[in-house]
Amino acid sequence: MTAPFLAIRNLTVVFGKGADRFVAAEDVSFEIAPGESLGLVGESGSGKSTVLRAITGLNPVTHGTIELDGRPVPTPRDLPFYRTVQMVFQDPYGSLHPRHTVDQILSEPLAIHGIRDTSDRIVSALAEVGLGPGFRFRYPHQLSGGQRQRVAIARALILRPKLLLLDEPTSALDASVQAEILNLLENLRREHGLTYLLVSHDLAVVAHLCERMIVMRHGQIVERMTAEAVRRGEVHHEYTKLMLEAEKGFSRAQPR
Amino acid sequence: MSATNQTPLLEVEDLRVRFHLRRGIVDAVRGVSFTLGRERLGIVGESGSGKSQTGRAILGLTPPPGEVTARTMRFAGVDLLTASKRELRRLRGDRMTMVMQDPKYSLNPVMTVGRQMVEACRAHSSLTRAEALEKSAAMLADVKISNPQRVMGLYPHELSGGMGQRVMIAMMLITSPDLLIADEPTSALDVTTQLEVLRILDELVAGRGMGLIFVSHDLELVASFCDRVLVMYAGKVVETLKASELRSAQHPYTRGLMGCIPRLERSVHPLPVLNRDPAWAE
Amino acid sequence: MTDTATSSAPKPSLRQWLLSPEPASRSQARLGRLYVGWKTFIGNPLAVMGLVIVLALIFVAIFADVLATHSPTVGGDLRTQRLLPPSAEFWFGTDDQARDIYSRIVYGSRLTLMVVALVTVIAMPIGLLFGALAGYVGGWVDAVFMRLTDIFLAFPRLVLALAFVAALGPGIENAIIAIAITIWPPYARLARAETMTIRNSDFIHAVRLQGGSTARILFRHVVPLCTSSVIVRVTLDMAGIILTAAGLGFLGLGAQPPSPEWGAMIASGRRFIMDQWWVAAVPGMAIFIVSLGFNLLGDGLRDVLDPKASR
Repeated sequence: MTAPFLAIRNLTVVFGKGADRFVAAEDVSFEIAPGESLGLVGESGSGKSTVLRAITGLNPVTHGTIELDGRPVPTPRDLPFYRTVQMVFQDPYGSLHPRHTVDQILSEPLAIHGIRDTSDRIVSALAEVGLGPGFRFRYPHQLSGGQRQRVAIARALILRPKLLLLDEPTSALDASVQAEILNLLENLRREHGLTYLLVSHDLAVVAHLCERMIVMRHGQIVERMTAEAVRRGEVHHEYTKLMLEAEKGFSRAQPR
Repeated sequence: MSATNQTPLLEVEDLRVRFHLRRGIVDAVRGVSFTLGRERLGIVGESGSGKSQTGRAILGLTPPPGEVTARTMRFAGVDLLTASKRELRRLRGDRMTMVMQDPKYSLNPVMTVGRQMVEACRAHSSLTRAEALEKSAAMLADVKISNPQRVMGLYPHELSGGMGQRVMIAMMLITSPDLLIADEPTSALDVTTQLEVLRILDELVAGRGMGLIFVSHDLELVASFCDRVLVMYAGKVVETLKASELRSAQHPYTRGLMGCIPRLERSVHPLPVLNRDPAWAE
Repeated sequence: MTDTATSSAPKPSLRQWLLSPEPASRSQARLGRLYVGWKTFIGNPLAVMGLVIVLALIFVAIFADVLATHSPTVGGDLRTQRLLPPSAEFWFGTDDQARDIYSRIVYGSRLTLMVVALVTVIAMPIGLLFGALAGYVGGWVDAVFMRLTDIFLAFPRLVLALAFVAALGPGIENAIIAIAITIWPPYARLARAETMTIRNSDFIHAVRLQGGSTARILFRHVVPLCTSSVIVRVTLDMAGIILTAAGLGFLGLGAQPPSPEWGAMIASGRRFIMDQWWVAAVPGMAIFIVSLGFNLLGDGLRDVLDPKASR
């Protein structure tokens, strides 16, 4: 049994105090093995994005530990952490700086980490996500949603991280573009041996990209299962069953 | 084609919506034609297909610098292209209304729910304020809101997504319109809430014998909810089919769209990707 | 130019190069954006008029030596040439010291330009940096900063400038410093507001997630997004700056005689306004035209730079 690459133990994130106290995530524990792909499924308010942001250090952690490759993550996170863990955000229209060209967006992480051969790295990063060098000096408003998301993925991968956190990477995209991006993510994982933590509300997307998944609701984990089990419909918790039914679409035959 | 043999509720022929922008002309809708009876029609397309602009053009909500032209655009026998402004105001908002995507942006944030509903009610009828309040409360109960009085005193930002959308539906149905255009009514909602809202919408539309145009990017959802589906691509309708016959769709775009969605029933790696044939846009 | 007409494509015109959808370098992309902004700008005739006025001011200031007909500070014969109406020799007439008003206006443009430029150069960076820092960092830094700007904003601008000039002593340089000190708080507030809207954007999170330091995020990511609204605000404020300087000059606290500052000219011409109206009216017109020019320019810039207006 290989040591987990990412281990979350009893993670609790609480916002506010007193009357405003809001428990965004409660006692969340899970592990991801190196090279594995784990899905966090839940609807809005489930706490899935909170967990992701807690890992990156964007949210403070009230209780619990986060261990990366056997060692607790430093708070505040340091440069080696950022070289190991990167994130792809949900909204392609908000995750790229509107006044920076693609070139500037991609050279920023390289500059921060003192990496020299920027031009080559940028061109190869773009090629990896299927964008030609002609995209290098475009501004985000000159790119389509799918292209922006590709740039966001290129930016996440340019530092050659080992763990990629994906926050609903395709929810804001058209169905046809989503398929392209999902295929891209799958290929990249295979090529680079990446570990994925995918957050989504869409069971089918998670089952497609992940081997295991965890269902969250109101900040707590309600069920853990494999993608295989979901495909077979072998789910136990009420809420998971509800999500599975909803996946099938609208049906007038439903008893109300 | 339409479900009834009366005059069709809505007749649209060669609808075109063109935007004269600084950087050139953008044809958002390029010749869309359909008729609608008292049935549920779905308009499906991706972003840029012109589906939203089609719905807005019918309601006269095309933002400037948009230009709407059509050979025919008739609602319940009234020609929308030549009708007077007064006539149009009588129809739009009263006989035909629209439910939009996100109640956070489509409800007035500085007015309480009750006040907005009363305003919607009294704008098109001669009810007194008390009568309008009563009607609003009844309408909220119709959309399965358990405490209408309390909700009427709330502001839109205090409503959850599902509740906000139900309020929006209540507000848009309060004048008992003949036609409801729903533009991505459930896209901003959680999947479990979506079905609740759709069920409510379904009951109301069927119960009142209304016509419904359901605009969405979700082909499967639309096909499961509507009677007929129009598939749009690059401003044109590329396929019209009965919802039950979705599986036997002919057009490669429709087939491609259905094929590229990941499904739980089968695991397909890699996902088939839509190869856009430029011929579809002609 | 081309040897074989069939094999080589025609060289793209400059316009095509600027509008190319696939720019080949950062400078090409940037120039392309400037070009698009420029085209938007000149589509607005009022904005162009504003730009022409401002350019004319700069032109007059640079070529004052050539354009002036007489000395701005040395008057003619005090017995015969005082308070003469506009004529062929003295285009705008003469003032009570027998100085040619036209030449004084021309040389005065240098002072006006100096005031505007220096106030901007001092106040804008201070406002931007303070505002962005307070907005981004939040917490007690923000609170302290807000109270500081509150103090400045509580006073009417002219009164505050007066207080500073009184402390520093009269003179155009001190007037400039005083005006700059009083004018930066609104820019800071503006920058703070912009910063607060963008500090929770995903693209800022992304830079933090790359390990970007606060300084880096502020300078390279936050401030560039605040600059547009501050620039627009500054240009719209320029009319006010000129008028404040004129006001100080009018009160004798700005430029000192015989300096041809327009506000001071109005002050000295005030006494003759009934019979020799041109002594006060001409510098007044000059201030009016330049203020209008900056206002129109600011409006035009806002149409170009305002992200809500574009798309």
